[in-house]
Amino acid sequence: MQNVTFRDLYEDYPDFHIQAFRERKRIVDYDRIIFHFPIIWFGLPPLLKLWIDEVFDMRWIAEGQHNILSGKDAVIVTSVGGSESNYTREGKYKTTAEELLTGLCVSLDINNIDLKNTHIIYNADNLEEEQLEDYCKELSQILNTE
Amino acid sequence: MTILIFLGVAIIMVPLGKKLGLSSVIGYLLGGILIGPFCLQLTGRDAADIMHASELGVIMLLFLVGLELEPQKLWQIRKRILGLGLSQMLLSIVGIFIVFYVAGFGLQKSVIIALCFAMSSTAIVLQTLKEKNLFRTVSGESSFSILLFQDIAVIPILALLPFLSKSQKAIAQVDHEKVLLHYIPEWLQPFTVIGAVLILILLGRYIFIPFLRFVSRSGLNELLTAASLFLVIGVSELMISIGLSPALGAFIAGVMLANSEFRHELESNIDPFKGLLLAVFFVSVGATINFDIIASKPVFIFTAAVIVLGIKAVVLFGIGKYYKMNNEQSFFLAFALSQVGEFAFVLINFSAGLFLIDYQANSELMAIVAITMCISPLLMIFKEKILDKRFIKQKSEENVELGIIKQRKIIIVGFGYFGSTVGRLLKANGIRSTVLDNDPDRVALLRSNGFNVYYGDATKPALLRSAGIEEAELLVICLDDPEKNKFLVDYVKENYPDIKIFVRAKNRLDAYEFLNKKVDNIYRETLGTAVDMAVDILKENGMRKYTARRMGKRFMIIDKAMTRRLAKEKDENMVTFTLRETLEREAQLLALDSISFEENHWSGDDDDDK
Repeated sequence: MQNVTFRDLYEDYPDFHIQAFRERKRIVDYDRIIFHFPIIWFGLPPLLKLWIDEVFDMRWIAEGQHNILSGKDAVIVTSVGGSESNYTREGKYKTTAEELLTGLCVSLDINNIDLKNTHIIYNADNLEEEQLEDYCKELSQILNTE
Repeated sequence: MTILIFLGVAIIMVPLGKKLGLSSVIGYLLGGILIGPFCLQLTGRDAADIMHASELGVIMLLFLVGLELEPQKLWQIRKRILGLGLSQMLLSIVGIFIVFYVAGFGLQKSVIIALCFAMSSTAIVLQTLKEKNLFRTVSGESSFSILLFQDIAVIPILALLPFLSKSQKAIAQVDHEKVLLHYIPEWLQPFTVIGAVLILILLGRYIFIPFLRFVSRSGLNELLTAASLFLVIGVSELMISIGLSPALGAFIAGVMLANSEFRHELESNIDPFKGLLLAVFFVSVGATINFDIIASKPVFIFTAAVIVLGIKAVVLFGIGKYYKMNNEQSFFLAFALSQVGEFAFVLINFSAGLFLIDYQANSELMAIVAITMCISPLLMIFKEKILDKRFIKQKSEENVELGIIKQRKIIIVGFGYFGSTVGRLLKANGIRSTVLDNDPDRVALLRSNGFNVYYGDATKPALLRSAGIEEAELLVICLDDPEKNKFLVDYVKENYPDIKIFVRAKNRLDAYEFLNKKVDNIYRETLGTAVDMAVDILKENGMRKYTARRMGKRFMIIDKAMTRRLAKEKDENMVTFTLRETLEREAQLLALDSISFEENHWSGDDDDDK
């Protein structure tokens, strides 16, 4: 895909030392951020959380400040272990997968980033080869949507 | 003088051959024909003598092959040596015998011809295997097994030939020649081979290695070269004196030393001599071809050569197929080993000495042998250029995978405090590497702890080559002396541009030089530890530990980026820095520090982007 840049945070910052200024400089060049991560213990992977902590700046959302993130849009692609029925009010975890993403969604919203799509893959720890292929097709469709 | 001509023609012909895509063997042989008595007449009649002298090259070649074969490995392939070797010898002998007997050569003569022609040329085949780097492949190993068996088979054949002769005088003469073997009681004689091998094994284990350690402690390179030569020539002389094949002795000595730390050093010491002597050997083969004989009976000699090649190739291909090799491997065996080898020269001359064959037949046979040797490299080209394309499907890449980590071939140069830390961490994660170090005591200690360490001076190109720099993917340079590190970087960048270099740098000034030599992975030994220390001091001053650690990390990133930038600013013609410039640079760095540490400085590290 030509206009998509893939970045693996755990490869870029193996020692968890995020270079915030470098990230901020880069982010300006893109219109869409796709967050692609597994949900670990019902939350974001620690390095992704740290990335948001370091890169997003509280001063940007203050009144009358220029926000470099404003007007961009976002897609969340995430995977969880366990079936979809577990992630319901009545199910095993008594919460939905979407609810686990609340912190991220609020952060996007407050920076005026439009969340286009949230794609959740259930049973990610136990998928057959065929299912994986189906999901891959779905993902490439998501990447190609305007 | 003759040697001079031999070397001269080799120097001219081999690069010429290489240009045309021919192997060096053809170059040597053509060179030999060119200077031989039938072309330029530069050599006298003593070419045969020179050939005899240069057989030491073949001996050295076998010693080197032995060095690459560890004893356990040899034991593993013992069945293959016996199976492949015996079947090749027997089938070839029978095949060739039948053809020559039917052609009316008489029983005795046919037997001798068959025995001689069943042999393949160790020199040509091993040289080919080395040049094409095929030692560790199935076809390479099989070829080698067959050759090894032939080497051993020469001994009983030499012992057998006198009994074919009806002349008592000849037997007496031969008996007289054998020196030590003669004194051993007759019932013990069959056991001499086993006894000699055992003696060599004991020598290798308890004498050679301590001897080499003792010599290497002197720290004199030329002394170690002398010791290596002494070992090889000594062993071959010993074998000759007890009447066994010197090549076999050298091979066993090599195998015994394959496990020692001196393996690569010995290789790099012997290799040039071997190359030289082999070159002379091949040239002399070319020079001894008697074109008068060929011209007088061209049809007979060429048909004989082709028939011999044909029989041997068919036998070899059959054996390859029987041992479940694929087409490519079987073709390789068939074409690589079908020539008649240098042992035939020995056997033919020996038979002539026993009056088993007359002078005329002697020259004819010699000519046939030489022709097959000349044709053999051409057959290899034919196999590579034509057969490989037609019959063999693209081979799939074979990657040895350790889980998801791919094992790359790594060489670590220098295993002092710095290099050993690198090596230990790699070893703890199951990553193998080849280590070179020039402290004999440290090498001995590390080897006893299971490290794959070899003794030698890594700034010598020959040692790097024998350690396998040609196939290596990563080179880790951890020598203490920055000048040696720089020399190595220059040498490797120039000769092996594809290898990835990781280099230890003493300080920032070294790092500038490495950066300008286009090395990406530079490790300043004074940076990491000093920063760690500063971080701990920050903590002592009451800074929160996490903040202090982050400050340390940030400092490292900025410092590395600045080093890159400053190295770029100074142009390449600037070789060394004066003290004043060094201080200026420090000042520049400090000034940049104060800017870059500003929280919102966005353009801190353009150079850092990969």
